[in-house]
Parts: sequence; structure tokens; C-alpha cells
Amino acid sequence: MMLRRIGLVAWHVFKESVRDRVLYAIGAFAMLLVTAAVVFSQLTAGQDLKIMKDFGLATIELAGVLMAVFIGVGLVAREIERRSIFSLLAKPLPRWEFVVGKYLGLVLTLTVNVLAMSLALYAALAYQHWVAPLGVRASWPAPASDPRLMIAVLMIALELALLTAVALFFSTFSSSTLISVVFTVGIFIAGLLSADLRAFNDVVDAPVLGYLVVGVGWLVPAFSAFDVKNQVVYGLPLAPGFVLHTIAYTVAYAAAAVGAAVIALRSREFK
Amino acid sequence: MATAVVTEGLTKDFRAGFWRSRPHRALDGLSLEIPTGGVFGLLGPNGAGKSTTLKILINLLWPSAGRAQVLGRPPGDVDARRRLGFLPEHPTFYDHLTAEELLTYFAGLFGYSPADRRARASRFLDLVGIGADRRRLLRHYSKGMVQRVGIAQALINDPELVILDEPMSGLDPIGRRDVRDLILKLRDEGRTVLFSSHILSDAELLCSRVAILAKGRLVASGALSDLTAAQPGSGDGWEVVAINVPPEVADRLTARVRRATCIAPGRYTFELAPEVRPETLVTDLASAGASVVSLTPVRTTLEDVFMERITR
Amino acid sequence: MTGAKPTAFGILAVVGGLALSASLLYARDHRYPPPPVTQRMLYVTSGSVVGRVMLTFDALAADVYWIRTIQHYGRDRKSRLQSGRFELLEPLLDLTTSLDPMFMTAYRFGAIFLSMAPPEGPGKPEAAVALLEKGLRATPDRWQYAHDIGFVHYWQTGDFTKAADWFERAARMPKAPSWIGPLAATTRAQGGNRVGARQMLQELLTSPEAYIRQAAERGLLQLQALDAIDFLQAAVDEYFRRHGQYPANWSDLVRAGLIPALPLDPSRVPFVYDATTHHVKLGPGSPLAPLPQGFQR
Repeated sequence: MMLRRIGLVAWHVFKESVRDRVLYAIGAFAMLLVTAAVVFSQLTAGQDLKIMKDFGLATIELAGVLMAVFIGVGLVAREIERRSIFSLLAKPLPRWEFVVGKYLGLVLTLTVNVLAMSLALYAALAYQHWVAPLGVRASWPAPASDPRLMIAVLMIALELALLTAVALFFSTFSSSTLISVVFTVGIFIAGLLSADLRAFNDVVDAPVLGYLVVGVGWLVPAFSAFDVKNQVVYGLPLAPGFVLHTIAYTVAYAAAAVGAAVIALRSREFK
Repeated sequence: MATAVVTEGLTKDFRAGFWRSRPHRALDGLSLEIPTGGVFGLLGPNGAGKSTTLKILINLLWPSAGRAQVLGRPPGDVDARRRLGFLPEHPTFYDHLTAEELLTYFAGLFGYSPADRRARASRFLDLVGIGADRRRLLRHYSKGMVQRVGIAQALINDPELVILDEPMSGLDPIGRRDVRDLILKLRDEGRTVLFSSHILSDAELLCSRVAILAKGRLVASGALSDLTAAQPGSGDGWEVVAINVPPEVADRLTARVRRATCIAPGRYTFELAPEVRPETLVTDLASAGASVVSLTPVRTTLEDVFMERITR
Repeated sequence: MTGAKPTAFGILAVVGGLALSASLLYARDHRYPPPPVTQRMLYVTSGSVVGRVMLTFDALAADVYWIRTIQHYGRDRKSRLQSGRFELLEPLLDLTTSLDPMFMTAYRFGAIFLSMAPPEGPGKPEAAVALLEKGLRATPDRWQYAHDIGFVHYWQTGDFTKAADWFERAARMPKAPSWIGPLAATTRAQGGNRVGARQMLQELLTSPEAYIRQAAERGLLQLQALDAIDFLQAAVDEYFRRHGQYPANWSDLVRAGLIPALPLDPSRVPFVYDATTHHVKLGPGSPLAPLPQGFQR
């Protein structure tokens, strides 16, 4: 029963995103950039496959990040602002189910979008493969339509799931969209640098400040940990244990962030 | 269970701004009992604390002091929520959904089967008169239509207790009449209806019991008939307006009536107590050569009760 | 039931989730460390490409690359890598200075650390000189760049003629300090000497970059060690003059009253006296090794 209610809330988040034209703009933007990658790579001989893979993955990631942040910070905040949450909370729907449903709905939306963009990328790569002469094909470190690219896509999806959780958390207690966006983006950047933060003590000898920085490096969601683009593009091996650990990490941290969001919503009154 | 809602000393303070230390008391020691069945009106001017009370009952706000019970349970209890319906003030829903989709969504939250959800959506949309437009997006609905959808979603689970916050707001006269008829229908079906309004005349037509709030305090509560009957000063009775009344006849009649007012030379208004039959007066006036312009029964209105209690 | 207080379960979920995720990350990075090859790839090595991509944020990009330069240097310095140490230093410095051609500290950093011999640095004095020449093309009046090229030749390549040429060029630039002219003259006349070396190192002590200051301090200590070795060698020779044979160990010298106690170098590692060759050297494991060559008094 609880799953059904959560599923309903999640499905409606997905439905709203499908009917929301803003999403199409981001999707179109992504498609455009992938096309640009095709054109761009014609200009740089030899490296074109690598550039296309890199550029394509980076575009998918960037579009996903934009969606996760901008839709994520509005997930709960918009319902509160529009007061549509009043009639919802009068129904037998516990607040925690509402929060979890909203989260899963956006994750579903992002997953579908990322998969759609990946398909476009694969199509573009297949085209590259088709037009390339045999000699050039032999020199590629990894095949054009490399199925291992999906591992990079999986990592991107995990990264977005984590970012969504952070955005959702801000959505539940901040009523200002601007503040939520700023904080979410700030944490995202800190997370991208978290590997450097954790290695701070290796590079700089500062006693108190060092431990503080390293501590922040461990606390902040490690968005840098999802970057396997290099390995995948160069066809280097990636252990399954690595991927499993990363999935477990994402689940654990996202659970913490969603948990914090639930706590925040449960302590809110609605004037 | 005889009581649908009970509150004891319900108090709500809001912090007025970040810097001001003194909180704004929106509700002060409200103690109410709302029996099952019948229509209960929570009345008062804007800012009296009506919405605050209803929101506390729905657990959207928490009381600063005091307690409340809804259907025998604390506010927000999931079982209680299954058996009640709520329409918020100035409702907004989801622009990207149709009315039908909204209702099936909410019905789904109660756990009804997909077929049951659709059936309920249809039934209640028809009931509130949205049947024809059910597949249009809520984005395109007028305010009145949204209000109707709001009522429909409040009824989707066949609730024992229906809580409506300003259900008539934003409706045209036809809409208001429809809502009034609907509320009476709900009463006839045995449900308890609790609604808030600042329009006292609506309450008079619908409620069996009322509570009047002003500035967060309860100023009157009880059965409607009791309240209006207990009003000292004015009361039920008759009002006779006559012209061409000779002054000496007016003086003679003044002793027999509760009050006589001279509006213009020869034109008088006579107020009679309800026990006094007006026919005698009319005959007397006629035989004195006066003409009766109008004969109107007078009833104490809720507004009279309200104004009197407020100024007390 | 909603209440104002968070439930125990909620708090457990948040704290537990954070702790669990941190330990999972730690475990992952330990069990599956990223292959060193991928860690050290610089996707773009052309400063002009990066500059165009960064639009108007060139200076910011330069800062980012500068931070990466320092991190790279610091990490490799502490690591026990045998091969490929500091291999990204040259491209990173090149990128930094292409994005911000006026970034003086980057050029001077390159002067010192690019030219250092392994294991302290990549041992590329010619790359250091090229970097500094690039700096002179951007700002032809910077006496520090000309001085630093001389410095590289003075300390690393041992080409004192070129060093003297560059010192002279530096002396002619505006705002050059007064000691550079005489430094050029003495370098041309005598080659490397410690007075000139001390002057250069003192100047480097004023750098805002901590690593440069550390290198300058170390250089000064090395010069002190050279002075000490001269003194100790003179004592050995004096002992021979007095007793007709060389001392067997430090104790002989102490007993002869020629040195006060067992000698320690400025890093407190004892000097070594080789009884067979009668030469004084730095002790093994002294952090001041290898001492710079070619510095007569």
C-alpha cells in the first residue's frame, strides 16, 4: 500500500515533467550539442572518436545536472508555494511517502532523459563507425558503439540521483528558489572537488585547517567519484566491484539526504 | 460516535516577523464541540482564526496550546484522514493534469482499485457539475470550476466528515446556490459538514449549529435558533409600514407596539412582537384611514447576533 | 504522525547514511584505486584552446591550473613513484602561463623546480629556460625572468658564461636590484661563487610561494654545508701539517683541538670523514644532498 502511494506520487512527477515544455528545451539543447560534436570532430583529425565520446558524455551530464538542479529545487518548494500540498496532505499520505515519491519521480524522469540522450549519442557514434575507413577503425582504442559507454552513462545517472537528493533537501526547507539553487550548485562544485579536498593534507602542511578541509571532503557528496569517462573512452578495464561500490555509495548518501528532507518536511507548518 | 470534532483551549501563536518578539495570537483558547451529522458553520470576519482552526484540524498547523480531536483521533492521524475530506481556501491543484486525472490520482492515494478510482472520479465530477469538462487541463479552468473540482476531491473518499474552508469564495450566484444545495445534500446523506465563511447569510440558510470567531476568540456558539432567539433587544416579529396615519392614531398605537418610528409625515414603521398578531393593527390602521404599504415578518439575523457580540 | 521532532529513525537514517557512504567511498578507493595512467592525463595541453573554451575566464582558468600545478608538485614530492615524477609539471606550467602571461610566480616556480635534478624535480633545465623566455616575450622588462635564467645556468647546467650573460641583461632592465651588476661581473670572472649564490637565494626568500621559499632556504643551508666542509677539510689538512699523517676519524681532530665536537651539517646529520681519501662529505641520508657543484669560495 505504501509502495503504491509512493509510486503514484512518483508517477505524477514523471507525468508533469513529460508535459512540461521546459524539459524539451533542455533535451533539444542536448541533441544540438551532440550534433555539434559530430561537426566539431570532423575538424580534428584522428582524435574525433574520443572527442565525440567525451563531448557527448559531458553534454549528457551537463543537461542532466541542469535538470536535476532546476527541477529538484522546485520539487517540494513549488507545491508548498502553490499550496497544492494542502489538499495532498489532507489525504492519508504520510509526509515521508510524499518526499520519497517526489524523489523517485525525478530520478525516473532523469533516467529516461539520460537514456534518450545516450541513444542519440550511440546513433551518432554508429554513424562515425560507418563512415570511417577500416584502417582508422583499427586504430581506435575502443570501438565506436562501445557498450562500455553505458557504464559511464550509469555513473552519470548515479551522479544525478545523488544531486537530485541534495536539491530535494533544499527544496523542503528553503522557500527561496534562488537560495536553493545557489546552495545546491555550491555543494555540487564542492563535491566535484572533493577528491582534492580529501587529499589536502597530502599537498599542504596545515594542521587544524587541513583536518577541517579533509573532513569537509569526506562529508560532502563525492561528485568527482562518478567520473569514469577517461577509462571508458580509452577502453581501460573497470572492475565490477568498483561499480557496485559506487552504486552502494550513491544509495547510502541519497538515503541520508532524502532522510534529512523528510525530517525537514515533517517539521514544517503551512500558514 | 456523537462528536465529530472537539477542541479544548486551542491556541495558536505566530511569530510576527523575525525581529519582533511579541507573537501574533491567531487563536485564543478555542473550545468547541461539533456533533456528528448536521452542518456546522465556523464564522467570523477575515482574520478571525477560522482558517487557522481548520488547518490545525488537518495537521497543517500545530497548536501552541490546547488540544483537538478529529473523529476521535488526534489531528493528522492516518485513519482519521481516510474518513474525512478537506477543501482548502483558494485551492490550487496541478495545472498539467485534467480534472479526471486529479481525482483518480487522489482516489489512488486512498487505495481504491483502478476501476473504482475512475468510477468515483466520474461520479463526483458529475455531482459538482464538471462532467463535460473533465478531460480539459486544469490550467484552463475558471476559478469557479476549480472550486468545484476542489469540492469533488474533498468528497472522493465518501468521507464522514467534510471540512470546507470558504467553499463559496470565487463563485457566482449560481455556483453558490449549487454549493449550498450540495452541502444540504451531504447533510441529508448523514455526513457531518464543517465549513467556514465570512458571509453570515449563507450560514443562516445551511447551518444547524454555528460558532462565531472574532480576533481569535469565540464570541458565540450553539444552535442557530437558540442564538437568534436569545438575542435581547431585537427579535422575531412583524414590521408594518403605513402611510396617511393621523398623529393621534400613531400615538395610540405606539403603546401597543414594540417600537414605532416616524419616517416621514404620516409615514410610520411599527414593529410588533411575534406574539402580537398583525391583523388587529392592520384593521385598526385601515379603519383610521391609513394605508398599509407593507407587512413584513422580521427575524433576528445572525448578523444581528454577530454585531451585538462583537461590540460587547 | 507528523510532529515537530524528528524521529529516531530519521536521525539514524541521516547520520548512518553519511557514515556508511563515507566508508563505502573509502573502501572503493582502496580496493580499486584508479590506474595511475588515467590520473595523469591532461586532456588539453594547448593553452590557446583552453583560453578559447574558458571565454573571458582566462585568469580564473590560470588560477585553477596553478592550483593543479602546486598539487601535482606536492603530491609527487611526497610520493614514492620511481618513474614519471613531475611529468605533468611542464605542461601544467605552460598552460598556466599561456592563460595568464603575467603570472610571475608560475614562471619563477618553473625556473626552480623544472630544472631540479631527480628525485627533487624532473631535471629539465632547458624547459625552465624556455618557460622563462616565454615570460620575457610577454613582459620584456621583467628583470626577474632574466635573473632566473641566469640562476638556472648557475645552479643546474653549470654554464657560468651564459649565466653571466643573463645577469648582465637583467642588470640593464628597469628596477633591477643593485647587486645584479656585480654578480654578473664576478660570475664572468670567477664562475660560480657562494656570495653570488647567497644573494640570489636571499632574493628568492621574498617570494610569495611557499615552495620557492623552502627551496631557497634549502639552498642557503647547502651553502652553509659547503662552508662547513671547507672548514673541516682545512682542519684535516692542518692536522696533517702538524702530525705528518691524516687523522683516522673525527675524534682525532677533536682531541687535537682543531674542531670543538663531532660535526653536524645544518640539517643535523653528521658529516662523514673518509679516512682513505681524507675527504669530508655529507653524511648519507642528509636531506641537503646532493650539494651543488662548482661553487668555489
